[in-house]
Amino acid sequence: MNPPRLLAGRNLSAGPESFAEHTARLGQLLSRGPELIETLVHSGLSGRGGAAFPVGHKWRAAVARFKGSGIVVVNGAEGEPRSKKDSLLMATRPHLVLDGAVLAAQALQAREIVLYVGEEHQAARIAMERAVAERSEGERRLMRMTSAPARYVAGESSAAVHLVTSGVALPTTTPAAPALVQNVETLAHVALIARFGQDSATVLVTVAGGVTHPGVLEMETSATVGSAVTLAGGVIEPARAILLGGYFGTWMGVDDAWGLPLDPAALRERGLSLGCGVIGVQPRSRCAVCETAGILRYLARESSAQCGPCFFGLRALADACSRIAGSGTNADDLHRLERWAVEVRGRGACKHPDGAVMFLQSALRTFAPEFAHHAAHDSRRTA
Amino acid sequence: MSYTFLWYATRGAGAVSMVLLSGVVILGILSALRVQATGWPRFLTTGLHRNVALTAVVFLALHIVTAVVDPYTHLGFGAALVPFSSYYRTFWLGLGAVALELMVAIVITSLVRGFVGHRAWRLIHWLAYACWPVAIIHGFGTGTDVWSVWFLALAAICIGAVGVATVVRLTTQPVDPLAGAKVAFRSSVDRRQLP
Repeated sequence: MNPPRLLAGRNLSAGPESFAEHTARLGQLLSRGPELIETLVHSGLSGRGGAAFPVGHKWRAAVARFKGSGIVVVNGAEGEPRSKKDSLLMATRPHLVLDGAVLAAQALQAREIVLYVGEEHQAARIAMERAVAERSEGERRLMRMTSAPARYVAGESSAAVHLVTSGVALPTTTPAAPALVQNVETLAHVALIARFGQDSATVLVTVAGGVTHPGVLEMETSATVGSAVTLAGGVIEPARAILLGGYFGTWMGVDDAWGLPLDPAALRERGLSLGCGVIGVQPRSRCAVCETAGILRYLARESSAQCGPCFFGLRALADACSRIAGSGTNADDLHRLERWAVEVRGRGACKHPDGAVMFLQSALRTFAPEFAHHAAHDSRRTA
Repeated sequence: MSYTFLWYATRGAGAVSMVLLSGVVILGILSALRVQATGWPRFLTTGLHRNVALTAVVFLALHIVTAVVDPYTHLGFGAALVPFSSYYRTFWLGLGAVALELMVAIVITSLVRGFVGHRAWRLIHWLAYACWPVAIIHGFGTGTDVWSVWFLALAAICIGAVGVATVVRLTTQPVDPLAGAKVAFRSSVDRRQLP
Protein backbone atom coordinates (compact mmCIF):
# COMPACT_ATOMS: atom_id res chain seq x y z
CA MET A 1 0.00 0.00 0.00
CA ASN A 2 1.34 3.41 -0.91
CA PRO A 3 1.80 5.68 2.07
CA PRO A 4 -0.27 8.87 2.17
CA ARG A 5 1.34 12.29 2.22
CA LEU A 6 2.35 13.89 5.53
CA LEU A 7 -0.35 16.53 5.28
CA ALA A 8 -3.11 14.23 3.95
CA GLY A 9 -6.39 14.23 5.89
CA ARG A 10 -8.46 17.14 7.09
CA ASN A 11 -8.10 20.67 5.76
CA LEU A 12 -4.98 22.34 7.15
CA SER A 13 -6.91 25.42 8.24
CA ALA A 14 -9.21 23.21 10.37
CA GLY A 15 -6.65 22.94 13.16
CA PRO A 16 -4.82 19.94 14.59
CA GLU A 17 -5.93 16.41 13.77
CA SER A 18 -7.21 14.59 16.86
CA PHE A 19 -5.85 11.23 17.97
CA ALA A 20 -9.14 9.50 17.04
CA GLU A 21 -9.08 10.99 13.57
CA HIS A 22 -5.38 10.18 13.18
CA THR A 23 -5.83 6.49 14.06
CA ALA A 24 -9.01 6.18 11.98
CA ARG A 25 -7.09 7.49 8.97
CA LEU A 26 -3.78 5.66 9.40
CA GLY A 27 -4.59 2.76 11.72
CA GLN A 28 -3.07 1.89 15.10
CA LEU A 29 0.65 2.36 15.51
CA LEU A 30 2.11 -1.10 16.08
CA SER A 31 4.96 -1.37 18.52
CA ARG A 32 8.29 -1.76 16.76
CA GLY A 33 11.75 -2.71 17.97
CA PRO A 34 15.27 -2.07 16.72
CA GLU A 35 14.43 -3.88 13.44
CA LEU A 36 12.77 -0.61 12.36
CA ILE A 37 16.26 0.85 12.02
CA GLU A 38 17.06 -1.45 9.08
CA THR A 39 13.80 -0.40 7.41
CA LEU A 40 14.85 3.22 7.85
CA VAL A 41 18.29 2.57 6.40
CA HIS A 42 16.63 0.86 3.45
CA SER A 43 14.16 3.73 2.97
CA GLY A 44 17.02 6.19 2.47
CA LEU A 45 15.28 8.80 4.67
CA SER A 46 17.53 11.72 5.54
CA GLY A 47 17.08 14.36 8.24
CA ARG A 48 14.90 17.35 7.40
CA GLY A 49 16.28 19.78 9.97
CA GLY A 50 19.05 21.04 7.71
CA ALA A 51 21.99 18.65 7.77
CA ALA A 52 20.25 15.89 5.75
CA PHE A 53 22.05 13.16 7.68
CA PRO A 54 20.84 9.60 6.86
CA VAL A 55 18.34 8.73 9.60
CA GLY A 56 18.87 4.94 9.71
CA HIS A 57 22.62 5.35 10.19
CA LYS A 58 22.08 7.97 12.88
CA TRP A 59 19.80 5.61 14.83
CA ARG A 60 22.20 2.72 14.41
CA ALA A 61 24.98 4.77 15.98
CA ALA A 62 22.60 5.96 18.71
CA VAL A 63 21.71 2.39 19.74
CA ALA A 64 25.33 1.69 20.54
CA ARG A 65 25.72 4.97 22.45
CA PHE A 66 22.43 4.91 24.36
CA LYS A 67 22.62 1.57 26.19
CA GLY A 68 19.09 2.12 27.47
CA SER A 69 19.71 5.51 29.05
CA GLY A 70 19.38 7.90 26.13
CA ILE A 71 16.77 10.53 25.41
CA VAL A 72 14.92 11.39 22.23
CA VAL A 73 14.70 15.12 21.52
CA VAL A 74 11.90 16.04 19.13
CA ASN A 75 13.31 19.15 17.48
CA GLY A 76 10.57 21.63 16.69
CA ALA A 77 12.62 24.74 17.50
CA GLU A 78 12.46 26.03 13.92
CA GLY A 79 14.54 29.13 14.58
CA GLU A 80 15.08 29.71 10.85
CA PRO A 81 13.25 33.01 10.23
CA ARG A 82 11.88 32.08 6.82
CA SER A 83 10.90 28.49 7.59
CA LYS A 84 7.33 27.69 8.53
CA LYS A 85 7.05 23.99 7.74
CA ASP A 86 7.88 22.51 11.16
CA SER A 87 5.43 24.72 13.04
CA LEU A 88 2.74 24.00 10.44
CA LEU A 89 3.30 20.26 10.74
CA MET A 90 3.13 20.34 14.55
CA ALA A 91 0.05 22.57 14.49
CA THR A 92 -1.85 20.33 12.06
CA ARG A 93 -0.52 16.74 12.33
CA PRO A 94 0.94 16.53 15.86
CA HIS A 95 0.24 12.80 16.21
CA LEU A 96 2.35 11.93 13.21
CA VAL A 97 5.29 13.62 14.96
CA LEU A 98 4.52 11.90 18.28
CA ASP A 99 4.26 8.52 16.52
CA GLY A 100 7.76 9.02 15.13
CA ALA A 101 9.05 10.00 18.56
CA VAL A 102 7.49 6.93 20.18
CA LEU A 103 9.01 4.71 17.49
CA ALA A 104 12.42 6.26 18.10
CA ALA A 105 12.10 5.71 21.84
CA GLN A 106 11.13 2.06 21.24
CA ALA A 107 13.90 1.36 18.72
CA LEU A 108 16.55 2.97 20.90
CA GLN A 109 15.07 1.97 24.28
CA ALA A 110 15.20 5.61 25.31
CA ARG A 111 14.07 6.58 28.80
CA GLU A 112 12.53 9.91 27.83
CA ILE A 113 11.03 11.86 24.93
CA VAL A 114 11.50 15.62 25.13
CA LEU A 115 9.36 17.77 22.87
CA TYR A 116 11.49 20.82 22.09
CA VAL A 117 9.14 23.34 20.49
CA GLY A 118 10.02 26.93 19.61
CA GLU A 119 8.50 29.30 22.18
CA GLU A 120 7.36 31.63 19.38
CA HIS A 121 5.31 28.89 17.67
CA GLN A 122 2.12 29.29 19.71
CA ALA A 123 -0.26 27.18 17.60
CA ALA A 124 2.29 24.36 17.37
CA ARG A 125 2.85 24.38 21.13
CA ILE A 126 -0.84 24.19 21.90
CA ALA A 127 -1.47 21.44 19.35
CA MET A 128 1.44 19.37 20.64
CA GLU A 129 0.37 19.80 24.28
CA ARG A 130 -3.17 18.66 23.44
CA ALA A 131 -1.87 15.76 21.38
CA VAL A 132 0.28 14.53 24.27
CA ALA A 133 -2.79 14.56 26.52
CA GLU A 134 -4.59 12.28 24.05
CA ARG A 135 -1.90 9.57 24.05
CA SER A 136 -1.87 6.44 26.21
CA GLU A 137 -0.68 6.73 29.78
CA GLY A 138 2.48 4.75 29.05
CA GLU A 139 3.47 7.13 26.25
CA ARG A 140 2.53 10.21 28.23
CA ARG A 141 4.78 9.15 31.05
CA LEU A 142 7.72 9.11 28.62
CA MET A 143 7.00 12.56 27.23
CA ARG A 144 7.99 15.99 28.48
CA MET A 145 7.41 19.31 26.79
CA THR A 146 9.94 22.13 26.89
CA SER A 147 10.27 25.34 24.93
CA ALA A 148 13.11 26.31 22.65
CA PRO A 149 14.32 29.92 23.09
CA ALA A 150 13.65 32.02 20.01
CA ARG A 151 17.28 32.27 18.96
CA TYR A 152 18.81 30.98 15.74
CA VAL A 153 21.30 28.58 17.34
CA ALA A 154 18.77 27.18 19.86
CA GLY A 155 17.69 24.61 17.26
CA GLU A 156 21.24 23.36 16.83
CA SER A 157 21.28 19.81 18.18
CA SER A 158 23.92 20.25 20.91
CA ALA A 159 22.15 23.42 22.09
CA ALA A 160 18.87 21.47 22.23
CA VAL A 161 20.49 18.72 24.32
CA HIS A 162 22.13 21.32 26.54
CA LEU A 163 18.76 22.93 27.24
CA VAL A 164 17.15 19.58 28.00
CA THR A 165 19.88 18.54 30.43
CA SER A 166 20.81 21.83 32.08
CA GLY A 167 18.24 24.43 31.05
CA VAL A 168 20.53 26.58 28.90
CA ALA A 169 20.36 26.37 25.09
CA LEU A 170 24.06 26.93 24.35
CA PRO A 171 25.82 24.94 21.63
CA THR A 172 28.57 22.69 22.98
CA THR A 173 31.40 20.85 21.26
CA THR A 174 30.77 17.57 22.99
CA PRO A 175 27.22 16.31 23.58
CA ALA A 176 26.02 16.88 27.12
CA ALA A 177 24.17 13.53 27.26
CA PRO A 178 23.42 10.59 24.97
CA ALA A 179 20.54 11.94 22.92
CA LEU A 180 18.93 11.52 19.54
CA VAL A 181 17.91 14.90 18.20
CA GLN A 182 15.56 14.58 15.28
CA ASN A 183 13.59 17.18 13.36
CA VAL A 184 9.78 16.94 13.60
CA GLU A 185 9.28 16.39 9.85
CA THR A 186 11.82 13.59 9.90
CA LEU A 187 9.90 11.86 12.71
CA ALA A 188 6.64 12.23 10.79
CA HIS A 189 8.26 10.43 7.85
CA VAL A 190 9.42 7.72 10.25
CA ALA A 191 5.80 7.25 11.35
CA LEU A 192 4.77 6.64 7.73
CA ILE A 193 7.68 4.32 7.00
CA ALA A 194 6.91 2.22 10.09
CA ARG A 195 3.30 1.78 8.95
CA PHE A 196 3.71 1.37 5.21
CA GLY A 197 7.23 0.04 4.81
CA GLN A 198 8.17 2.96 2.60
CA ASP A 199 8.27 6.72 2.72
CA SER A 200 5.75 9.13 1.25
CA ALA A 201 8.61 10.39 -0.96
CA THR A 202 7.60 13.95 -0.21
CA VAL A 203 9.33 16.92 1.34
CA LEU A 204 7.94 19.94 3.15
CA VAL A 205 9.21 23.22 1.75
CA THR A 206 8.57 26.85 2.63
CA VAL A 207 8.44 29.07 -0.43
CA ALA A 208 9.28 32.59 0.71
CA GLY A 209 9.96 35.99 -0.78
CA GLY A 210 8.76 37.22 -4.13
CA VAL A 211 5.96 34.75 -4.89
CA THR A 212 2.20 35.32 -5.00
CA HIS A 213 1.36 32.87 -2.18
CA PRO A 214 4.31 32.39 0.15
CA GLY A 215 3.91 29.42 2.46
CA VAL A 216 4.42 25.74 3.11
CA LEU A 217 3.98 23.10 0.41
CA GLU A 218 4.34 19.34 0.49
CA MET A 219 6.18 18.44 -2.71
CA GLU A 220 7.05 15.12 -4.30
CA THR A 221 10.81 14.61 -4.11
CA SER A 222 10.75 14.07 -7.87
CA ALA A 223 9.38 17.61 -8.37
CA THR A 224 11.64 20.59 -9.02
CA VAL A 225 12.42 23.87 -7.29
CA GLY A 226 10.69 25.64 -10.18
CA SER A 227 7.50 23.64 -9.77
CA ALA A 228 7.37 24.60 -6.07
CA VAL A 229 7.67 28.28 -7.02
CA THR A 230 4.94 27.84 -9.62
CA LEU A 231 2.71 26.06 -7.14
CA ALA A 232 3.19 28.97 -4.74
CA GLY A 233 1.49 31.17 -7.33
CA GLY A 234 4.59 31.97 -9.32
CA VAL A 235 6.92 34.94 -9.03
CA ILE A 236 5.43 38.40 -8.51
CA GLU A 237 8.08 39.84 -10.83
CA PRO A 238 11.13 38.38 -12.61
CA ALA A 239 13.37 36.74 -9.99
CA ARG A 240 17.07 37.55 -9.69
CA ALA A 241 18.12 34.51 -7.60
CA ILE A 242 16.88 31.72 -5.37
CA LEU A 243 18.09 31.01 -1.85
CA LEU A 244 18.03 27.27 -1.37
CA GLY A 245 17.91 26.12 2.27
CA GLY A 246 17.46 29.23 4.38
CA TYR A 247 20.15 31.39 6.00
CA PHE A 248 22.67 28.53 6.07
CA GLY A 249 21.78 27.81 2.46
CA THR A 250 23.06 28.72 -0.97
CA TRP A 251 22.17 31.58 -3.31
CA MET A 252 21.79 30.37 -6.87
CA GLY A 253 20.93 31.92 -10.19
CA VAL A 254 17.30 31.30 -11.16
CA ASP A 255 18.25 29.22 -14.20
CA ASP A 256 20.61 27.03 -12.13
CA ALA A 257 18.05 26.47 -9.38
CA TRP A 258 14.83 26.12 -11.39
CA GLY A 259 15.29 22.56 -12.66
CA LEU A 260 16.85 21.14 -9.47
CA PRO A 261 14.99 18.19 -7.94
CA LEU A 262 13.70 18.46 -4.35
CA ASP A 263 15.20 15.05 -3.63
CA PRO A 264 17.78 15.26 -0.80
CA ALA A 265 19.86 12.39 -2.22
CA ALA A 266 19.93 13.84 -5.74
CA LEU A 267 20.88 17.26 -4.36
CA ARG A 268 23.65 15.77 -2.27
CA GLU A 269 25.14 14.25 -5.41
CA ARG A 270 25.40 17.76 -6.84
CA GLY A 271 26.97 19.05 -3.63
CA LEU A 272 23.78 20.94 -2.78
CA SER A 273 21.23 20.69 0.00
CA LEU A 274 17.66 21.68 0.59
CA GLY A 275 18.70 22.44 4.17
CA CYS A 276 15.64 23.24 6.24
CA GLY A 277 13.47 23.34 3.10
CA VAL A 278 13.34 27.08 2.49
CA ILE A 279 13.09 28.23 -1.11
CA GLY A 280 13.61 31.99 -1.00
CA VAL A 281 12.81 33.95 -4.15
CA GLN A 282 14.76 37.19 -4.58
CA PRO A 283 12.91 39.64 -6.87
CA ARG A 284 15.01 41.57 -9.36
CA SER A 285 13.99 44.95 -7.97
CA ARG A 286 15.28 44.16 -4.50
CA CYS A 287 18.93 44.97 -3.81
CA ALA A 288 20.83 41.70 -3.35
CA VAL A 289 23.80 43.37 -1.64
CA CYS A 290 21.60 45.00 1.01
CA GLU A 291 19.70 41.75 1.45
CA THR A 292 22.96 39.81 1.99
CA ALA A 293 24.26 42.45 4.40
CA GLY A 294 21.04 42.29 6.42
CA ILE A 295 21.06 38.51 6.73
CA LEU A 296 24.76 38.48 7.57
CA ARG A 297 24.16 41.06 10.31
CA TYR A 298 21.36 38.90 11.68
CA LEU A 299 23.59 35.79 11.73
CA ALA A 300 26.41 37.75 13.39
CA ARG A 301 24.00 38.88 16.14
CA GLU A 302 22.81 35.31 16.59
CA SER A 303 26.30 34.05 17.46
CA SER A 304 26.25 32.65 20.99
CA ALA A 305 29.51 34.58 21.68
CA GLN A 306 31.32 31.52 22.93
CA CYS A 307 34.00 31.40 20.23
CA GLY A 308 35.97 34.50 19.24
CA PRO A 309 36.31 33.71 15.52
CA CYS A 310 32.53 33.28 15.23
CA PHE A 311 31.54 36.35 17.24
CA PHE A 312 34.23 38.73 15.98
CA GLY A 313 34.66 37.14 12.59
CA LEU A 314 30.99 37.28 11.64
CA ARG A 315 30.77 40.80 13.02
CA ALA A 316 33.78 41.90 10.95
CA LEU A 317 32.21 40.29 7.86
CA ALA A 318 28.84 41.91 8.53
CA ASP A 319 30.58 45.29 9.04
CA ALA A 320 32.46 45.00 5.75
CA CYS A 321 29.30 43.92 3.91
CA SER A 322 27.28 46.75 5.50
CA ARG A 323 29.91 49.30 4.44
CA ILE A 324 29.54 48.12 0.84
CA ALA A 325 25.75 48.15 1.15
CA GLY A 326 25.67 51.55 2.80
CA SER A 327 28.29 53.54 0.90
CA GLY A 328 28.94 51.54 -2.26
CA THR A 329 31.55 49.05 -3.40
CA ASN A 330 35.13 49.51 -2.27
CA ALA A 331 37.91 47.13 -3.20
CA ASP A 332 39.24 46.76 0.35
CA ASP A 333 35.99 45.51 1.86
CA LEU A 334 35.22 43.25 -1.09
CA HIS A 335 38.65 41.69 -0.70
CA ARG A 336 38.15 41.36 3.06
CA LEU A 337 34.82 39.56 2.57
CA GLU A 338 36.47 36.95 0.37
CA ARG A 339 39.57 36.52 2.50
CA TRP A 340 38.01 36.56 5.96
CA ALA A 341 35.25 34.16 4.96
CA VAL A 342 37.91 31.51 4.46
CA GLU A 343 39.53 32.42 7.80
CA VAL A 344 36.34 32.11 9.84
CA ARG A 345 35.19 28.78 8.47
CA GLY A 346 35.61 25.78 10.76
CA ARG A 347 36.68 27.94 13.70
CA GLY A 348 33.64 27.58 15.95
CA ALA A 349 32.60 24.92 18.44
CA CYS A 350 29.37 24.52 16.46
CA LYS A 351 28.70 25.03 12.76
CA HIS A 352 27.20 28.53 13.09
CA PRO A 353 30.17 30.36 11.51
CA ASP A 354 30.43 27.73 8.76
CA GLY A 355 26.78 28.10 7.79
CA ALA A 356 27.00 31.90 7.75
CA VAL A 357 30.19 31.86 5.69
CA MET A 358 28.81 29.42 3.13
CA PHE A 359 25.81 31.68 2.77
CA LEU A 360 28.09 34.69 2.22
CA GLN A 361 30.33 32.90 -0.26
CA SER A 362 27.34 31.83 -2.36
CA ALA A 363 26.12 35.45 -2.30
CA LEU A 364 29.51 36.73 -3.48
CA ARG A 365 29.43 34.16 -6.30
CA THR A 366 25.82 34.62 -7.40
CA PHE A 367 25.73 38.40 -6.97
CA ALA A 368 29.27 39.04 -8.24
CA PRO A 369 28.15 41.83 -10.64
CA GLU A 370 26.09 43.56 -7.90
CA PHE A 371 28.94 43.36 -5.38
CA ALA A 372 31.42 44.67 -7.96
CA HIS A 373 29.34 47.73 -8.87
CA HIS A 374 27.21 48.52 -5.85
CA ALA A 375 26.37 52.17 -5.44
CA ALA A 376 24.95 53.74 -2.30
CA HIS A 377 21.21 54.20 -2.49
CA ASP A 378 18.44 55.37 -0.20
CA SER A 379 15.84 52.69 -0.50
CA ARG A 380 16.43 49.00 0.06
CA ARG A 381 13.99 48.31 -2.72
CA THR A 382 15.98 49.66 -5.63
CA ALA A 383 19.10 48.08 -7.04
CA MET B 1 78.78 15.07 0.16
CA SER B 2 75.26 14.07 1.17
CA TYR B 3 76.31 13.88 4.82
CA THR B 4 77.35 17.53 4.77
CA PHE B 5 74.04 18.35 3.10
CA LEU B 6 72.13 16.72 5.98
CA TRP B 7 74.21 18.58 8.52
CA TYR B 8 73.53 21.93 6.85
CA ALA B 9 69.84 21.07 6.62
CA THR B 10 69.76 20.34 10.36
CA ARG B 11 71.36 23.67 11.19
CA GLY B 12 69.22 25.63 8.75
CA ALA B 13 65.96 24.02 9.83
CA GLY B 14 66.95 24.54 13.48
CA ALA B 15 67.46 28.27 12.94
CA VAL B 16 64.21 28.58 10.96
CA SER B 17 62.38 26.68 13.73
CA MET B 18 63.71 29.14 16.28
CA VAL B 19 62.39 32.10 14.29
CA LEU B 20 59.01 30.48 13.61
CA LEU B 21 58.52 29.27 17.18
CA SER B 22 59.34 32.75 18.46
CA GLY B 23 56.75 34.11 16.02
CA VAL B 24 54.20 31.58 17.28
CA VAL B 25 54.80 32.58 20.90
CA ILE B 26 54.52 36.28 20.07
CA LEU B 27 51.33 35.79 18.04
CA GLY B 28 49.91 33.67 20.86
CA ILE B 29 50.63 36.44 23.35
CA LEU B 30 49.19 39.08 21.00
CA SER B 31 45.96 37.12 20.69
CA ALA B 32 45.83 36.57 24.45
CA LEU B 33 46.24 40.36 24.77
CA ARG B 34 43.38 40.69 22.26
CA VAL B 35 45.30 43.05 20.03
CA GLN B 36 43.26 44.17 17.01
CA ALA B 37 42.67 46.95 14.49
CA THR B 38 40.03 47.87 11.92
CA GLY B 39 41.69 46.01 9.07
CA TRP B 40 42.93 43.27 11.36
CA PRO B 41 40.23 41.59 13.50
CA ARG B 42 41.52 39.41 16.30
CA PHE B 43 40.48 36.11 14.69
CA LEU B 44 43.20 36.74 12.10
CA THR B 45 45.86 36.79 14.84
CA THR B 46 44.74 33.40 16.14
CA GLY B 47 44.49 32.05 12.59
CA LEU B 48 48.02 33.23 11.82
CA HIS B 49 49.22 31.85 15.18
CA ARG B 50 47.87 28.44 14.21
CA ASN B 51 49.24 28.50 10.66
CA VAL B 52 52.73 29.62 11.70
CA ALA B 53 52.71 26.94 14.43
CA LEU B 54 51.91 24.23 11.91
CA THR B 55 54.66 25.56 9.61
CA ALA B 56 57.08 25.44 12.55
CA VAL B 57 56.15 21.77 13.08
CA VAL B 58 57.26 21.05 9.52
CA PHE B 59 60.64 22.73 9.99
CA LEU B 60 61.09 21.11 13.38
CA ALA B 61 60.42 17.71 11.79
CA LEU B 62 63.01 18.52 9.12
CA HIS B 63 65.47 19.60 11.82
CA ILE B 64 65.02 16.38 13.79
CA VAL B 65 64.84 13.92 10.90
CA THR B 66 67.93 15.27 9.15
CA ALA B 67 69.85 15.18 12.44
CA VAL B 68 68.78 11.62 13.19
CA VAL B 69 69.44 10.14 9.77
CA ASP B 70 72.82 11.85 9.44
CA PRO B 71 75.18 8.83 9.55
CA TYR B 72 77.98 10.99 10.97
CA THR B 73 76.33 11.27 14.38
CA HIS B 74 74.46 7.91 14.63
CA LEU B 75 71.88 9.55 16.88
CA GLY B 76 68.92 7.26 16.31
CA PHE B 77 65.28 8.26 16.83
CA GLY B 78 65.48 7.24 20.49
CA ALA B 79 67.73 10.22 21.18
CA ALA B 80 65.15 12.57 19.66
CA LEU B 81 62.20 11.06 21.51
CA VAL B 82 63.57 10.01 24.91
CA PRO B 83 65.08 12.95 26.79
CA PHE B 84 68.69 12.59 27.92
CA SER B 85 69.11 9.17 26.27
CA SER B 86 71.59 10.36 23.65
CA TYR B 87 75.24 9.30 24.00
CA TYR B 88 76.15 12.48 22.14
CA ARG B 89 75.82 15.81 24.00
CA THR B 90 73.38 14.12 26.35
CA PHE B 91 72.22 17.21 28.20
CA TRP B 92 71.82 19.62 25.27
CA LEU B 93 70.07 17.12 22.99
CA GLY B 94 67.96 16.07 25.97
CA LEU B 95 66.67 19.64 26.23
CA GLY B 96 65.73 19.46 22.55
CA ALA B 97 63.78 16.24 23.18
CA VAL B 98 62.01 17.84 26.17
CA ALA B 99 61.02 20.85 24.07
CA LEU B 100 59.81 18.54 21.30
CA GLU B 101 57.60 16.59 23.67
CA LEU B 102 56.12 19.73 25.18
CA MET B 103 55.39 21.00 21.70
CA VAL B 104 53.78 17.71 20.63
CA ALA B 105 51.51 17.91 23.69
CA ILE B 106 50.56 21.51 22.83
CA VAL B 107 49.90 20.78 19.16
CA ILE B 108 47.90 17.60 19.71
CA THR B 109 45.69 19.08 22.42
CA SER B 110 45.05 22.04 20.10
CA LEU B 111 44.08 19.81 17.21
CA VAL B 112 41.59 17.90 19.37
CA ARG B 113 40.55 20.80 21.59
CA GLY B 114 36.90 19.78 21.20
CA PHE B 115 37.59 16.47 22.91
CA VAL B 116 39.92 17.56 25.71
CA GLY B 117 37.85 20.59 26.66
CA HIS B 118 38.86 24.23 26.98
CA ARG B 119 40.29 24.06 30.49
CA ALA B 120 42.64 21.14 29.82
CA TRP B 121 43.69 22.68 26.53
CA ARG B 122 44.51 25.99 28.21
CA LEU B 123 46.49 24.29 30.96
CA ILE B 124 48.59 22.38 28.44
CA HIS B 125 48.97 25.50 26.32
CA TRP B 126 50.70 27.29 29.21
CA LEU B 127 53.54 24.79 28.68
CA ALA B 128 54.53 26.94 25.68
CA TYR B 129 56.19 29.26 28.19
CA ALA B 130 58.43 26.32 29.19
CA CYS B 131 58.82 24.86 25.71
CA TRP B 132 60.21 27.94 24.02
CA PRO B 133 63.06 28.75 26.48
CA VAL B 134 64.08 25.09 26.69
CA ALA B 135 64.30 24.98 22.88
CA ILE B 136 66.36 28.20 22.83
CA ILE B 137 68.78 26.87 25.47
CA HIS B 138 69.06 23.66 23.43
CA GLY B 139 70.07 25.78 20.44
CA PHE B 140 72.69 27.72 22.38
CA GLY B 141 74.05 24.57 24.01
CA THR B 142 74.58 22.50 20.91
CA GLY B 143 74.10 24.78 17.92
CA THR B 144 76.99 24.80 15.46
CA ASP B 145 76.33 28.37 14.40
CA VAL B 146 75.85 29.85 17.85
CA TRP B 147 78.77 32.22 17.70
CA SER B 148 78.27 33.34 14.13
CA VAL B 149 77.08 36.91 13.79
CA TRP B 150 73.93 36.10 11.81
CA PHE B 151 72.74 33.57 14.36
CA LEU B 152 73.47 35.82 17.32
CA ALA B 153 71.57 38.66 15.64
CA LEU B 154 68.63 36.41 14.85
CA ALA B 155 68.55 34.95 18.35
CA ALA B 156 68.80 38.40 19.91
CA ILE B 157 65.81 39.60 17.90
CA CYS B 158 63.77 36.48 18.80
CA ILE B 159 64.62 36.57 22.50
CA GLY B 160 64.11 40.30 22.69
CA ALA B 161 60.72 40.20 20.97
CA VAL B 162 59.42 37.26 23.00
CA GLY B 163 60.80 38.87 26.16
CA VAL B 164 59.00 42.16 25.52
CA ALA B 165 55.76 40.37 24.61
CA THR B 166 55.96 38.23 27.77
CA VAL B 167 56.57 41.22 30.02
CA VAL B 168 53.58 43.03 28.48
CA ARG B 169 51.48 39.89 28.90
CA LEU B 170 52.45 39.54 32.55
CA THR B 171 51.84 43.19 33.40
CA THR B 172 48.47 43.69 31.67
CA GLN B 173 45.28 41.96 32.61
CA PRO B 174 43.29 41.69 29.38
CA VAL B 175 39.53 41.94 29.69
CA ASP B 176 37.48 39.39 27.80
CA PRO B 177 35.78 41.42 25.05
CA LEU B 178 33.33 38.56 24.67
CA ALA B 179 32.25 38.72 28.32
CA GLY B 180 29.36 41.14 27.84
CA ALA B 181 28.03 39.42 24.74
CA LYS B 182 28.40 36.01 26.41
CA VAL B 183 26.32 37.05 29.40
CA ALA B 184 23.70 38.70 27.18
CA PHE B 185 23.33 35.66 24.95
CA ARG B 186 23.32 33.23 27.83
CA SER B 187 20.53 35.06 29.60
CA SER B 188 18.45 34.92 26.41
CA VAL B 189 18.66 31.11 26.23
CA ASP B 190 18.62 30.35 29.96
CA ARG B 191 15.34 28.66 30.91
CA ARG B 192 16.27 27.44 34.37
CA GLN B 193 13.99 29.94 36.16
CA LEU B 194 10.90 28.75 34.33
CA PRO B 195 8.73 25.96 35.74
